[in-house]
Parts: sequence; structure tokens; C-alpha cells
Amino acid sequence: MPLTLSIIYDILSFDMKANEISKVARENPFDASADEIRNRAKEIRKKIVWMNSHAGQGHTGADLSETDILAALFFSVLKYRRDSPQDPDRDRFILSKGHGVGGLYCTLAEAGLLEESLLQTYLQFDSRLPGHPVRQKTPFIEVNTGALGHGLSVGVGLALSAKKSGRDFRVFVLLGDGELQEGSNWEAAMSAAHFKLDNLVAIVDRNTLQLADRTETIMALEPLDRKWDSFGFDVKEADGNDPAAFIDTVGSLDPACGKPHVIIAHTIKGKGVSFIEDRAAWHHKIPVGDQVREAIEELE
Amino acid sequence: MEQVRKQDLREVMVQALIRAVDEGRNLVVVVSDSASTSQIGPFQSRFPERLVNVGIAEQNLMGVAAGLSLGGYTAVTANAAPFATSRANEQLKNDICYSRTNVKVMGLNAGVAYGPLASTHHAIDDVSILRGLGNILIFAPSDPVEADSIFRYSIDYDGPVYVRMDSVTFPFLHAPSYHFQPGKVDILREGEDLAIFSMGSVTWEASSAGEELGRLGIRAEIVNVPSIRPADPEGIFRSALKTGRVLTVEEHSVHGGLGSLVSEVLAERGAGVRVSRLGIPEGEFSKAGPRSAIRAYYGIDKDGILRKALEVLGRTA
Repeated sequence: MPLTLSIIYDILSFDMKANEISKVARENPFDASADEIRNRAKEIRKKIVWMNSHAGQGHTGADLSETDILAALFFSVLKYRRDSPQDPDRDRFILSKGHGVGGLYCTLAEAGLLEESLLQTYLQFDSRLPGHPVRQKTPFIEVNTGALGHGLSVGVGLALSAKKSGRDFRVFVLLGDGELQEGSNWEAAMSAAHFKLDNLVAIVDRNTLQLADRTETIMALEPLDRKWDSFGFDVKEADGNDPAAFIDTVGSLDPACGKPHVIIAHTIKGKGVSFIEDRAAWHHKIPVGDQVREAIEELE
Repeated sequence: MEQVRKQDLREVMVQALIRAVDEGRNLVVVVSDSASTSQIGPFQSRFPERLVNVGIAEQNLMGVAAGLSLGGYTAVTANAAPFATSRANEQLKNDICYSRTNVKVMGLNAGVAYGPLASTHHAIDDVSILRGLGNILIFAPSDPVEADSIFRYSIDYDGPVYVRMDSVTFPFLHAPSYHFQPGKVDILREGEDLAIFSMGSVTWEASSAGEELGRLGIRAEIVNVPSIRPADPEGIFRSALKTGRVLTVEEHSVHGGLGSLVSEVLAERGAGVRVSRLGIPEGEFSKAGPRSAIRAYYGIDKDGILRKALEVLGRTA
């Protein structure tokens, strides 16, 4: 069966096999080197620019901010089987900052987990690729996010389910930094530490910008490391636009420390395209006309 | 006088949950410091590892339940209905309904069960809220037998379910052999003079009023509506058409609950039947005080239903 067909079959059959624990150790299907991941990230960024300009809408700044993190996760960190999005032992990835879904679709396409041609349907009527993630429509999407402050709680539930059922999978939740202004995150954080979920990794896409301005101007988050630390998290910081550094940081996490992990990933919103980088105005904006060519040229 | 046998629906719930695990269901119960509200003790004693307490954090309660279900569990939340449906509304909407996760939401102490604790604790809008959300089934048990049948169905069903629960003992209205059917009304008493539709906790009051009307020579059809979604438009239409007069009773706002549902069905079918709705009037918060006094004030107790039924029939008591 061709890969894409088998994925669709897997989604439709919705076969959780909830009570079977596989003895086969899961691996990342690519196990890519840092150089390969950088190359993948470049391709993903080109897809983002093309897809968003084609769609006429999109959160370009957010998509480009998270690209290196997504590339590192899908091409190195996450353990999963490409042909089995519902494998109960897969590592879970939750995009809590659901508006960054464009970056996720392009990453899935780059990894061959989503048909490349589907990117043309982004944001179209009843498309399989709507403007926020929908798990019934797209493989490897675990929960329907978009409203902020939801992903970490669902991640806590998933990580708790792994602990309770003796499964080895880990749960990675990508949070926007502005998103941390939602109080529900801190309810989730409190419980993650209380339940000693060392199989949970929260990643903060710390680009210091939210919709309208700097996070520190709108509603200050700092000292962010101390907030997480005081909530009982194992806190790490990394360059979120350097896949090698990010992967090293993930690799340094103690999987049995009894504490949930957070990686504050320092990123540049709009990373890779000079006229988009670090500008709040590009949160929900797309390149048009000559900008598309200029952006692609810069990325090459 | 014959002693009326009664049982707390929470006790039925807890026994149903224990039975489900005994039968091999991979089930967890999630509470938000609501272990006593839910009377979950016996379940916790049997299966301590299957009870998750997230503390006083209802948003997290719903998100964690959704996550547990995505990890292969049937997750059952058990906390007070107002906090489940209002405080955690967006988690209920997105993490459970929209994501269609296998979570059963037990809305404890719904309606004005918290009587004197006033409107922060009343849930006279839970069914209205749930009817605005997609994907989730909505059930309101009227007695212990029906509750047990609803729990059995809900646990077996793969998807989100809301069950409107209570905090007091309910009299038995059904024989042990009764089986709840989703998408079906349940006719407790047949009649031709008027149809009284009721939901959940006040069905006992409607049933008693029906008996009283019978003594006055009035044959009221008493229609219990435990399945709000899926609804039973055909069943509602049939009883309305048969009697030509309709009264709805609910411990809920008349907006968005049973009265709305019945009115919508009859209007859409062009039934041409006048509908009188008993409940908390549209646009109002409920009064606070002893529950019996609140019910009397809104006329959703036996006497109030009787009075309204006679008014609908153009008669006086």
C-alpha cells in the first residue's frame, strides 16, 4: 500500500489497539544529522512562503519561528512510524500554538507524512488543511488546538496515560511565548510537576513577540525560567533556531528525574527572511508579489 | 403508607464505574477536588490508581481527561455541573467535543441542586450550553434504573457524552427491566388530554402530577425525555399531536433546554400545538434557597405542574 493511502486507512480505521503494548522499540524514522535537518528546515521554510502566499493568508512569522524546532523534532527527536499515525507507542507532538499549523503542515509534507499537493489546499473550503490543526483531518495531529492554553493540559493527560499504562512514549508540547499569558497553562504546569511527569517536554517558542507587540510590553513573562522552575519543572534553555543545539538540549534531559521538562527555545519570529524577521506585523501576514521571490532567494 | 424506594444517582454512577472496570474497561475517573461531590470513595478504594485528582482546576480537569482518552483510556470527569460547563467551557468545546475525545462528563448537582448556595453554583444553563456544542451526546437520567442504563450505554459509546447528574436520592420510576434508548422518549403514562414533557430531576414531580390529574379524571401523557441529543423528534411530535396540548417541565432555564427542544421540533413540523414551558424564565438567574422552595417558586414541583396543567386545560383545581 502506498504510504499516503496507508495513512488515510490508518486514520479511517481509527484503530487505537489501546491495550496492546508493542515490544518493538520505536525510533525516529529519519535519524537525521544536524546538517540534514538544517537542509530540511530550509525546504520547509520555502514551502511555508509558497503555501502562505498561495493561500493568501497565514501566520508566516509564527510558522518561520518554529521551523527549526519542528524539523529537529520530526527528523530526529520524535520516535514514530511513518506508516502508522495511530501507533499507540508513538511519541506525541502537540502544537499548542495552533496558529503555527502552516509550519507543521509543511514539516509533515517534507517528511512525506502528508501529500505535498495538499499544501495547495491550505485554508480552502473544507480543506484537509484548515487554519488550525484538526486531528480528524490530518495525520500526526493529536488534538484540535487554536484557542491558546490548551495543549499543555492535554499533554499532561497523555503523559499520565503513558505512566499509568506502562508505555515508554514521550509527549512534546510546543507552546507560544505569548500563549503563556493564558492561566490554564499554569494549572497544567502545576499538575505536571505534581504527577512527576518526566516523560513530558514543554517547548516554549520564545521569540519575544506576540500578536501586536513584544510580550514584555503587552504582559511581561520574565523571569520566565524562574516561573517554570518554581512550578517544579526541569528548566533548560536552547537556541531554537539551531537544530544541533536544540537536539543536544533534548538529549541532555534526564528521562527519570521525576520532573517535567521545559526547554525555553530562543527563536526569531519570521526567521530566515530578513524583511519578516522579528516584526510583530508579520504575525498574520503573507509575502505578496516580489516579496515571494525575494523570500525564496534569501532562503536558498 | 408504602415507603418510596430511593437511591442517589451518584451511588449508581460509582457502582457502574466499578462494574465497567471489573468488566475490563480501561477507565479512569478525573476529579477536581470533587471526590466528595462525586461520592467516588468506593471506586477510589477499589482502584486507587484509576482516580486522578487535578485539584481545583477545572480547565486542566477537562484537558487532562482529553489527554488520558487520547492515551487509550475511557476518561470520566466528575465535578459540579456549573464548573464543568462554564468554567471549563472552552476545554469542553475544543479538547472534548471538537476533538471528539472519548470523555464522559458527569455534570454533578445540576439545576438548582445547590439551592441556598445561589447562582454561582446553580447550573440552569448546562443543557443549553451543551446543545450549542457539536459532537457530544446529552443525557438526563430521571431515576436510578435509567441512570444505570445511561451509564452503561455512555461508557460503551466511543465519544463524548454529558450526563446531567444530581445530589439527592431519586425515587424509582422504572422497572428493573427498563432499558434507556438513546434518541427515544420514554412514555411513563399514556394519556390524551395533554402531554407533559419533563427532563431528569423533575420527572418524578411530573409523574406525581400526572397521577394527581388522573384522580381528577384528566388523562395526561407523561413523557420523560432522557435523551436530549440524540433527540426524538418523532416521539415528541407523536405525543403532542395525540394530545394537542403541551407542557414542558425542567429544572433549567426555559432557554435552550427541554422547552426549547420541544418547541423547535413542533414548530419545524408545523404541529400547530401550543407549548407552555415551566422552568427558570429566560434571562433570569434562579432564586436561592431551599431547593423545594425554589421549585415551588418556579412551579416545577408537583403542585406547580398540576396548577399549570389545569390552566392549560382551562380548568381550575
